[in-house]
Amino acid sequence: MWKYCLILYSLLLAPAYAQEVDMPKLVTNVVNEHILPGYERLATRSAALSKAVETSCPDNLDAVKLAYNEAFDAWMGVSHLRFGPSEDNNRAFALAFWPDTRGFTPKTLASLLTDNDPAIHDAEKFTTVSIAARGFYPMEFLLYDTQFTEEPAPQRCDLMAVMAKDIANNSAAILRDWQAGYGEMMIKADNDIYRAPEEAVRQLYTALTTGLQFTAQTRLGRPMGSFEKPRPNRAEARRSERSQRHVLLSLQANRQLASLLSENDEDIDRGFERAIRIVEDLDDPAFAGVGSIQGRIRVEALQGAITLTNDLVAEYLGPKLGISAGFNALDGD
Amino acid sequence: MPDRRSFITGLFALGLCPSVTWADAGSPAFLSAARKPDGSYALFGISEQGRTIFEIALPGRGHAAAAHPRRPEAVAFARRPGNFAMALDCRNGETKAVLHCPKGRHFQGHGAFSEDGSLLYTAENDYDHARGVIGIWNADQGYKRVGEFASHGVGPHDLKLMPDKKHLVIANGGIETHPDSGREKLNIPTMKPNLAYVTLDGALVEMVELPQAMHKSSIRHLSLGADGTVAFAMQWQGDINNAPAMLGLHKRGEEARLLEAPDNEQRVLQGYVGSVALDMEQKLLAASSPRGGVVHQFDTDTGEFLGAIHEEDVCGLAIRDHKLVRTSGMGIVCLSEDMAGTQMDKMRVTHRYQWDNHLIPIG
Repeated sequence: MWKYCLILYSLLLAPAYAQEVDMPKLVTNVVNEHILPGYERLATRSAALSKAVETSCPDNLDAVKLAYNEAFDAWMGVSHLRFGPSEDNNRAFALAFWPDTRGFTPKTLASLLTDNDPAIHDAEKFTTVSIAARGFYPMEFLLYDTQFTEEPAPQRCDLMAVMAKDIANNSAAILRDWQAGYGEMMIKADNDIYRAPEEAVRQLYTALTTGLQFTAQTRLGRPMGSFEKPRPNRAEARRSERSQRHVLLSLQANRQLASLLSENDEDIDRGFERAIRIVEDLDDPAFAGVGSIQGRIRVEALQGAITLTNDLVAEYLGPKLGISAGFNALDGD
Repeated sequence: MPDRRSFITGLFALGLCPSVTWADAGSPAFLSAARKPDGSYALFGISEQGRTIFEIALPGRGHAAAAHPRRPEAVAFARRPGNFAMALDCRNGETKAVLHCPKGRHFQGHGAFSEDGSLLYTAENDYDHARGVIGIWNADQGYKRVGEFASHGVGPHDLKLMPDKKHLVIANGGIETHPDSGREKLNIPTMKPNLAYVTLDGALVEMVELPQAMHKSSIRHLSLGADGTVAFAMQWQGDINNAPAMLGLHKRGEEARLLEAPDNEQRVLQGYVGSVALDMEQKLLAASSPRGGVVHQFDTDTGEFLGAIHEEDVCGLAIRDHKLVRTSGMGIVCLSEDMAGTQMDKMRVTHRYQWDNHLIPIG
């Protein structure tokens, strides 16, 4: 009889799904183990980049490039966290304006240099220039694109210096806001921004799924183009051959977030593991290979593996966190 | 006053009446697309009582449909970035024509007929040039494409024929997308939505832009009052915790007015409104948010928030004979007894179909 009661009892509980999730603990873990360390790394390396440009440009461009790549790597660890301090004053866009579908970045850079714009020499003024000329992507043009590296303009180092300073300021501001209250608000979830731990968890879940989607659809989808018309020139950060690396780094960051949010769900982690293995084996740093059929098939397989991972997240993690997958709610149109 | 039937007979005698009308398709009050339990999609005719009248299979998920003003004919649009639409005979489900977008274009999910139903205007994305286009199709010649004009913005979404029947109003959502990247938004930091009024030849007569602080509010969906008032619903592309008003009213030559619920209610929308319905005679504006599972209602005179109706995954909204009808992804078709949100349901029917984004009133 007891047995039957137990079975009945568990059936009654079943629709509420598995174990109760300790939402405040999830948020605490994500903030302390994922978000804060990510922004600390970004702030430290961005400050180092700013210093490197000041001391080594133009004499030792290799040192500048090294610092640039390290700082850009750090950005990839947080690029999916598009809420709160990163969105204040458009900071994230000012760090990372991509994709640049209309070619604003090289145009704006060229006019800043041609006019010897006062903003080049003034960090305060520089915050008012178009965001297409701020952050890591325009800096890549100055360091790697022949338009700016062959016969460099006399103000190239000044422009890079102000740009790096701006990157460092923005990164520091995001970290400061996280440390000075936003992290606490998210964890406590007793305020106007987060009224309950569920809302904070939902925000983190959204960051995870939109991050994966962006990598599959934009980081990979843009250079893949269509079968008839591949677009290798649209690959993200192809000039510095960082395209493949960005997919790897963003997957690693999302994997950590997924693992914290799901408390190490093995099925989801296997999805990440598989996608990461594919990208590590790829050997196509700037996705130039999408122009060939074989190269395209490999990138397509990677895209499929990421999409599948996102499906696993929706299937296993969403319900566990009480996030409904409404037919219309998910449509976004 | 002659009844409708003798009026129609009279028209027949004069040789003025089209041979078939919506009555021949069972006089549906609404159209809506839906997903069926087996995962397939169909377009349904729905009665005033919320029952299905006809069902026509669709090859994939739809978005909105356009109902021909006279003939029992519907044009169902594939979901963005679909490059086809189907003109369907609602009497028998036959496909009268398949509309293929020209190369480099895809449909955005909405279309509007001219007053006499001879022309169909469709919102399209000229994606390699990141510009919006309105395609023109001749409905009397098998939906042959007969022209196009600029939408005067990026990412046009909904469009409607104004009550004067001489202008179109276009919701240029401002968001650039490219099929290579699916539905990913490519220009959020620089997006600039607008509401554009054009003549039927495409000449811009008025454009409404919102303040720069709202440039991430994508203007998506429209509903018109008989007096020419345009209600527009937006979707916020910034941090959802900083979402501004999601609804506006505009009348030609005037400033746009924004409507917003008290903070507690407003945040429930999650920066996303799916459909909007306006009835200026009752001074009622209703807007649905599937993410929040609510329908918000406002007094159009005062802008006052009248209340929220809670309905899980609600999206489709229409006002017919001054009654507000809503549909949801949970299969609900529901007519409220009282418009002011007392939540008395006069009619509530549950179907096994997941109703898709929009409920299109007929007639």
